[in-house]
Amino acid sequence: MEAVVIDAGSKLLKAGTAVPDQAPPMIIPTQMKRMLEEGSAADSPVVEDFTVDPVVRGCIKDWDAMEDLLQYVLYTGLEWEEGNEGQVLFTDPLFTPKQAVKEQLVQLMFETFNVSGFYASEQAVLSLYAVGRISGCTVDIGHGKIDIAPVLEGAVQQISSKRFEIGGLDLTKLLAQELAKSNPTVNLNISDVEKIKEKYSCCAEDEFAYRKTQETNEIEQHTLPDGQVISIGKERYTIGEALFQPVILGLEAHGIVEQLVRCISTVSSDNHRQLLENTVLCGGITAMPGFEDRFQKEAGLCSSAIRPSLVKPPEYMPDKLTEFSAWVGGAILAKVVFPQNQHVTKGEYDETGPSVVHRKCF
Amino acid sequence: MYGGDEVSAIVLDLGSHTCKAGYAGEDAPKAVFPSVVGAIDQMEVDDNTNGEKNSSIDSKAGVKDSERKGKRKLYVGSQSLGFRRDNMEVLSPIKDGVVMDWDIVDSIWDHAFRECLLVDPKEHPMLLAEPSSNSQQQRERTVELMFEKYNVPALFLAKNAVLTSFASGRATALVVDSGGGSTTIAPVHDGYVIQKAVASCPIGGEFLTDCLLKSLESKGVVIKPRYSFKRKETRPGDFQAVDVDFPNTTESYRLYSQRVIASDIKECVCRAPDTPYDEASYSNIPMTPYELPDGQTIEIGADRFKIPDILFNPSLAQTIPGIESFAEVGPNVRGLPQMVIDSINRCDVDIRKELFSSVLLAGGTASMQQLKERLEKDLLEESPQTARVKVLASGNSTERRFSVWIGGSILASLGSFQQMWFSKSEYEEHGASYVQRKCP
Repeated sequence: MEAVVIDAGSKLLKAGTAVPDQAPPMIIPTQMKRMLEEGSAADSPVVEDFTVDPVVRGCIKDWDAMEDLLQYVLYTGLEWEEGNEGQVLFTDPLFTPKQAVKEQLVQLMFETFNVSGFYASEQAVLSLYAVGRISGCTVDIGHGKIDIAPVLEGAVQQISSKRFEIGGLDLTKLLAQELAKSNPTVNLNISDVEKIKEKYSCCAEDEFAYRKTQETNEIEQHTLPDGQVISIGKERYTIGEALFQPVILGLEAHGIVEQLVRCISTVSSDNHRQLLENTVLCGGITAMPGFEDRFQKEAGLCSSAIRPSLVKPPEYMPDKLTEFSAWVGGAILAKVVFPQNQHVTKGEYDETGPSVVHRKCF
Repeated sequence: MYGGDEVSAIVLDLGSHTCKAGYAGEDAPKAVFPSVVGAIDQMEVDDNTNGEKNSSIDSKAGVKDSERKGKRKLYVGSQSLGFRRDNMEVLSPIKDGVVMDWDIVDSIWDHAFRECLLVDPKEHPMLLAEPSSNSQQQRERTVELMFEKYNVPALFLAKNAVLTSFASGRATALVVDSGGGSTTIAPVHDGYVIQKAVASCPIGGEFLTDCLLKSLESKGVVIKPRYSFKRKETRPGDFQAVDVDFPNTTESYRLYSQRVIASDIKECVCRAPDTPYDEASYSNIPMTPYELPDGQTIEIGADRFKIPDILFNPSLAQTIPGIESFAEVGPNVRGLPQMVIDSINRCDVDIRKELFSSVLLAGGTASMQQLKERLEKDLLEESPQTARVKVLASGNSTERRFSVWIGGSILASLGSFQQMWFSKSEYEEHGASYVQRKCP
């Protein structure tokens, strides 16, 4: 039986059997709605009850909800049979707390789901595997967080990695604010704003172009599901700009390229060239039109002698690789780890307990 | 009593230059960030009449200052420090090896736990590394702060020198710890520091960086901090660095940013010379190029060898224009080999032989190239004939930088160590002064 790879992000959960050069078969939202009758959660928004987010800012926080979600994914989605569970590979974001998250996850998988094998790996390394590299720098702009991780020969340089607690979620809120300002009569729902963001947002060519868009007003009309019409103009560019000028979000920080350069400057200088010239972008937001070009442009303007340059994904990989590159990398890794028995087996877990994960998976 | 496997301890080493924190049992700290903070005095922002001199934070706490201190905003960590803010002063909590400002230490610890490691201090025992000659008062203050504010379940204070010798697997060694702020020489015998023989001198990595900075300035090279320039595309494909002026940047921040670049130059380019430095013989050596962040390429020649030689011959520092203040401390400071010999001579005759044959190098500055060979050579010349001199340093430069932390990680994960923790209940029963008994 093939191993299963699960990448639980703050917004989307990517899961499927490990087939490396294809998109994950299951991409479902991680957010769930709790129905009042029994307290069990389902994936479809049926009633306007409160929403549950098991994964917050990249880390699993709500374990009961996570269990329900995984149950749906494994038994219903991937059609596992009870009693014949296979092997699972999970992806972790940077700085995952050892006891609180990693050990809990292992415990959950072995004791509740009874899997036969488990492995966990860091998302940064997996994204690099997906583009065929083992050294480079990953810039993962996700829904709940931004991770910048230099990786050398498959090992994340923990000391130089950086994490920012901003992500797509904050950009959506920003967009909601901006739209409310220009459309005061329209009643907006966060999930609608989310869809508007995915459809319309784009990135200006550079700072001057951005300023020009703020002055002109090419307005487009968009019809919301409930019938209201909303006009979108310069707000489309604000989202992309906020990543390069966080002042827009109200944060005192440098733009994403400058942060990348400063991160790398703390690694020993022999490796700078290798890291900067193998920069990989991943995460849903990076698929925004104009983002990569703007990134390259800003890379030329950053305060470093060596300019970051982006890696082109190989041709045999699916098109929208940035949205699930960690999953694809996980599929590649699963093909190597499980057949060679480098994973944590049920026997080892029974013998040692959850802390075995720290020794076997790094 | 805490089982080693269930909850891992956290090892925290607050040095004068960087703070290292991470889980015990791992081979490198997860969080490494500068142990200086940016501070913006809120009173200035409200007031607007006071100049920058009024953020008198490094004076001892008095009633007036403690009122003002409550209105100070601190920025910790390389991310926050990297962003230039108006009126932000760069402050260090440690002066001459002694902690002066406990608020800053508190904020550094808080940053390490909550933002870097993402742990709750209540759940993990803490192993703290302390300087080899720490006063009782400092230790009690540390213990109080940890137990009262962070509610840690258990604590242990270990001396830097002892941890370094654990990292190399020895119980007896002479530890030469050359870090950011100072160089300390401490002999360790059977796991205990021989206090009477501990020597320290203020020449450390930061001093060498300053010397390099002043030396380059005297040659006309201006190091522009990263925030002070911006690249503009003058023609497609052609980039030029244009100066940007920020008049409200404090002097300490400008110096801090310049030092970051200068210390990178130092780490890339400087090597310890094989023989003592003198102007005449090194005036003709080939220059090494180095590219600064703004695109300027500078050539460094004799300074490559002169700067590291200051460790061996401190009077060299006086030849660099701009380091006049050092002259006051100058005469009393001896070179590194001399300090090592003095320290060994202050120990009992029986262990001197063993100390000579296990001299350990630790600290960021000790990871300079060729330092080990030069020290060994100098010690061989000055030591007694019968002694066999051996200087040991782990080959990997990351290991040398973090050897104190690594020793702590080893110690905290040993099964036999688990009964030595100073637990919260013991603190509540006996008070902070009990630390002297529990953590010798």
